[in-house]
Amino acid sequence: MLRFFGRSLAAHVRGGRSLFALTVFGVALGVAAVLAIQIINRSSLAAFEGSMQAVSGEADLTILGRTPSLADSLLPVVLGRPGVAAALPLVRLPAAVASKAHASRANALFLDIIGVDFFTPVRLPWQGAPGDLAAALGQRGWAAFTPTLAQQQGWTVGDSVRVWVGSREVCLVVGALIDFQSLSPLASSKLVVVDIAQAQVLLGRPGFVNQIDVVLAEGADRERVAADLITQLGAGVRVVTPQQRSTQTAGLLAAFRLNLTALSLISLFVGLFLVYAATQASLVRRRAEFGTLRSLGASRGQVLALILGEVSVLGLLGVALGLPLGYWSARANVDVVSIALTNLYLLDEIAAVRVPLSLYAQAAAIGIGGAVLGALIPALDMSRRDPRALLSAFTMHERIDALAPRLAQLGIGILGLSGLWFVAGGQRWQHAGFVLAVALLAGLPLLTPWTIRRLTGPLRVNGFGLGYSLKSLGARLQSSAFAVAALAVAVSMLVGISIMVDSFRDTLEVWIQTTVQADIYVSPAAWRGPGEEGYLDRDLARQLAAWPGVLAVDRLRSFAAYTEQDERLMLVGVDVGLPVASQRFSLLLGDPATAFQRVHEEGFVLVGETLARRKNLWVGDEVRLYTPAGIRAFPIAGVYYDYDARGGGVLMDLRTLSAHWQDDALNGIALYLQPGLDADVVVDQLRAALPVEALDLLSNRRLRTEAINIFDQTFAVTRLLQGISLLIAVCGVALMLLVMAREQVSELALYRALGSTRRQIFGLFVGKGLGMGGLGLVLGGAGGVILALILIFVINRAYFGWTIQLHWPWWSFGEQALTILATSVAASLYPAWKASRTPATELGREDS
Amino acid sequence: MTSRQLAALCLGWLCAGLLPAHAADGGADRTEDGWLRASPQYAWSFPRDHWSHPGYRSEWWYLTGHLQAADGRRFGYQFTFFRVGLLQEVPDLDSPWGARDLLMGHAALTDLSSGEHHFSEVLYRAMPLLAGFPEAAAHKDAAAHKDAAAQEDADPQLLAWCLAPAGTSGRWTLHFNGDGFDLRMMDAGAGFALDLSTTADKPLVFQGPGGFSAKAKGPDPGASQYYSFTRLRTSGHVVLGGDTLAVDGSSWMDKEFGSDKLAPRQAGWDWFSLQLADGRDIMLYVLRDADGAIDHASGTVIDAAGGVSYLAADEFAIESTATWTSPHTGAVYPSGWTLRVGDVSLVVRPLLQDQENVGQRVGDLFYWEGAVQVLDDDGNSHAGSGYVELTGYGSGRRPGI
Repeated sequence: MLRFFGRSLAAHVRGGRSLFALTVFGVALGVAAVLAIQIINRSSLAAFEGSMQAVSGEADLTILGRTPSLADSLLPVVLGRPGVAAALPLVRLPAAVASKAHASRANALFLDIIGVDFFTPVRLPWQGAPGDLAAALGQRGWAAFTPTLAQQQGWTVGDSVRVWVGSREVCLVVGALIDFQSLSPLASSKLVVVDIAQAQVLLGRPGFVNQIDVVLAEGADRERVAADLITQLGAGVRVVTPQQRSTQTAGLLAAFRLNLTALSLISLFVGLFLVYAATQASLVRRRAEFGTLRSLGASRGQVLALILGEVSVLGLLGVALGLPLGYWSARANVDVVSIALTNLYLLDEIAAVRVPLSLYAQAAAIGIGGAVLGALIPALDMSRRDPRALLSAFTMHERIDALAPRLAQLGIGILGLSGLWFVAGGQRWQHAGFVLAVALLAGLPLLTPWTIRRLTGPLRVNGFGLGYSLKSLGARLQSSAFAVAALAVAVSMLVGISIMVDSFRDTLEVWIQTTVQADIYVSPAAWRGPGEEGYLDRDLARQLAAWPGVLAVDRLRSFAAYTEQDERLMLVGVDVGLPVASQRFSLLLGDPATAFQRVHEEGFVLVGETLARRKNLWVGDEVRLYTPAGIRAFPIAGVYYDYDARGGGVLMDLRTLSAHWQDDALNGIALYLQPGLDADVVVDQLRAALPVEALDLLSNRRLRTEAINIFDQTFAVTRLLQGISLLIAVCGVALMLLVMAREQVSELALYRALGSTRRQIFGLFVGKGLGMGGLGLVLGGAGGVILALILIFVINRAYFGWTIQLHWPWWSFGEQALTILATSVAASLYPAWKASRTPATELGREDS
Repeated sequence: MTSRQLAALCLGWLCAGLLPAHAADGGADRTEDGWLRASPQYAWSFPRDHWSHPGYRSEWWYLTGHLQAADGRRFGYQFTFFRVGLLQEVPDLDSPWGARDLLMGHAALTDLSSGEHHFSEVLYRAMPLLAGFPEAAAHKDAAAHKDAAAQEDADPQLLAWCLAPAGTSGRWTLHFNGDGFDLRMMDAGAGFALDLSTTADKPLVFQGPGGFSAKAKGPDPGASQYYSFTRLRTSGHVVLGGDTLAVDGSSWMDKEFGSDKLAPRQAGWDWFSLQLADGRDIMLYVLRDADGAIDHASGTVIDAAGGVSYLAADEFAIESTATWTSPHTGAVYPSGWTLRVGDVSLVVRPLLQDQENVGQRVGDLFYWEGAVQVLDDDGNSHAGSGYVELTGYGSGRRPGI
């Protein structure tokens, strides 16, 4: 039997090279998609942990402030507690390299500057004697860079590097090249380490640090030391383990990662369809072979094993091709995801891709398992059949034909039940949206055979036109249904995500239109968004307010604050008293006039929609936040629309914020100009006049464009996955047409004998391809609309809490429809050419 | 003279003043990188000179002694503050972390009754939160950090301080008390603490004429400014293993500062401070080269009345009679000597072999610093006690400072 297995496999491959190649390719693409996404998902977390590991070494505990920074005077207290072996103060600050090559935001080179105390036992790979550190301490701007970055930028020891930190331009000196990546391979190459004194100077906040890492003495009990530190240091700090920090990041990224994983699984799902269809087709073709084997005494089990063995080999080949493909595409797309992560979550970018073996194993198991699973039903079906039935010249097509209504009923049942479940209470579960999406993607293929029959049945056929092609699709449901179903799933994903992304983009544009009211926005160039350290010099606001043509100045301060339950959220302070302020935030709930008055005068706050939904906080409730003076309650006056991926924010008047947090730093300034002044002209004037190049000065128009650019970058990765699915589905079309060309050999020969030209047959097959594309579009379009509704109203709400206004991107629909039809036609060219070469002499062959 | 020439001349003077001194007077007073060098003409001023000397690269306050508790338990102790000058001036950075000096503290307690040696160390940059070398009250630097200045004003006798090692609350301090020195240290991890007060029984002595201690031969030797209090009556408390014991005894205090490192050929030193029963005190040191041969040696004998005589290298001899191999570092140290000073012969024996200090804060820093007994030349009758320091042994490692 084994020898037969080898021979039969070889014959199978020889007999249908393109069929075989397509099937393997389908599995490979599915495996590649899953692997690539898993790699990227892991790398995104590893990037965060890697950079922390390089500087914090093996810290057992980290002390963080519940307020923007931590007074370094806590250090002696920490050092004096039992069980502490070392305490390492850290200052983290973002910087951007100031050079022409990095001037635009797209080319910006951000550095992660970390200030450490060079004399605490940090695990820096320092080679010199303590005396050599004199320069690190005394030379202004002395900094250690990674050799990788220095090499990329052509910097050598002694070179000066101008960087923007906050609103100031400072000069760093390449003092040493230290390979932090040797300590922590995943550390960012853009890590720059300076002495803590230099870091405080750069930050402009002497006496403050961002965190204190604690190394415990041998045998010390972590929980006990943590509890002791909390008691000693008071409510202003949090003491967390590295695991807790990682978990927080993992939690932050969960939604993003889940979305990516779901998309990659859909790619695999479509890939499985392809395997299923290919197996089915090949089994049908080889029906007689199995009949012969059975009549020669092969048992059902043996036939089943033979089929599944063949499919496993096929899956294995697909995996062998898919693993390198997945790794390669992960590497190729890591930048895209990296941009999305830094845009959405302000995390460290992904500097390196590391793949544990288990990920490869997992992807391989999914590939082979998927192939076997895909082939199981047709294989069981084939092995159970009576040998006589297998040998007789009857076709199986009527089988699926007969099943079509029942399959459709099942599909409708699944859709209906999942809908009922959702309405009856399933919606309370965060992941409910994915249940609906899975039900939709499972129901859609089940509805496909019946839909094809209903759509092609009433067609009247006159000659070899498109009508004949479509009709023949209906007649050969066994083949066509699978290809159309796979295409429909891919199309529905394409359409659903397109609608979601476009609606989101549209909503965001409207939102930006209403909230971006000021004429000029000023922020530190190195500032990557709320929650980051990046200060504007305090007198800059006064300087700008006095600028000719400036009517009003709106100031913004934003940092991470903590609720009573220790949950992190973004705290935003603005000048609510300005007449324009009420337009900056459009309210979902609450009367704008009273809400803004209360925020301005009575210490009320507004909460972002994302936070409101997540924490069930509405007008009349209060938010309880940690302030340096302990927990304070802030009553809620309104809920505003926001599109924050990190859990939403709380907005208060700048005066309220300063009063409670004793913080007068600024992260952004918005300028309102006198009517008639051109913002771009004033931006140019400011640029020329202000000595600070470290500022991002954006006119209203530029800011809107920037925001939309960031949005587009963020969603680039989803577009990529859509592409993969579509590619797999189109492979399915080509595969099915090849199968049909093969199955219909005698029919085609008959046409040829009856005088059909090759061109007509070629046209017939192209018509079939077009038909499949069209049917896939119809089904997928319908599915896509439903998927879009699920994504917009269920999944996004549950994970991010965003309100997205539904928007139909007709133009892009049209484009996509044309693309799909054109791709289907392209996919049918080779099978059509093959079919058109069928000689009339094949007439005698039995049509299988 | 035109106004232009006058301006040029003034500018010239100004520049000369800003240049490192060695460029002005042939390199005698400052090292190549601008640190002040020890000088035979150094103008001593006490008590000011008990405080730190920031223009010099390194400085230390070194106390060693023998203590006895009421119950008869005997101890040897060492307490040292090193100042490692990283920069000559506090850097002009708007941060309290901007530091000129590094403070390294070493303390050891040898329980001579049980035979256990305990060692503790700290390493901090001198900044208001962690460690400091206050200026002498009369020489306050107005630019010093406000908090530190306020803190130090409240404690005008403080010579140096730092936080205790991580995991222990409290501060290590060294005060000048007018007659001697008070020291405090504690280390919960190492399980011991010292709180001792000393009073000088003999006056201060300069080690080397004018307090100039040459560390090599030749016309421009490496050198330090060096003085000692050779007999300090000592009392206070020792905490060991949870027991607090009242103790008294006798200590020796050395203070040295300078900027010269060991000469390249020198590998380490053997240093002896001996308090003899007849009232004399002897300090001897030998700088060895890499082969163990004597490169330079010097000594001082202080008679019972405080009279000082300096010894040239050929006026004394030290012969090692035994060795001890450290199980911690593998270093082979001499462990027993016979000394000949003039017509006197003495036998010196460690009271415990394992009195090696192995530092963790700075890589490869280990040395032997131990309590010794002095016997007369027949090796039987008690002739005194003392401390011996042995550096540069084991794997050819040179002391960093």
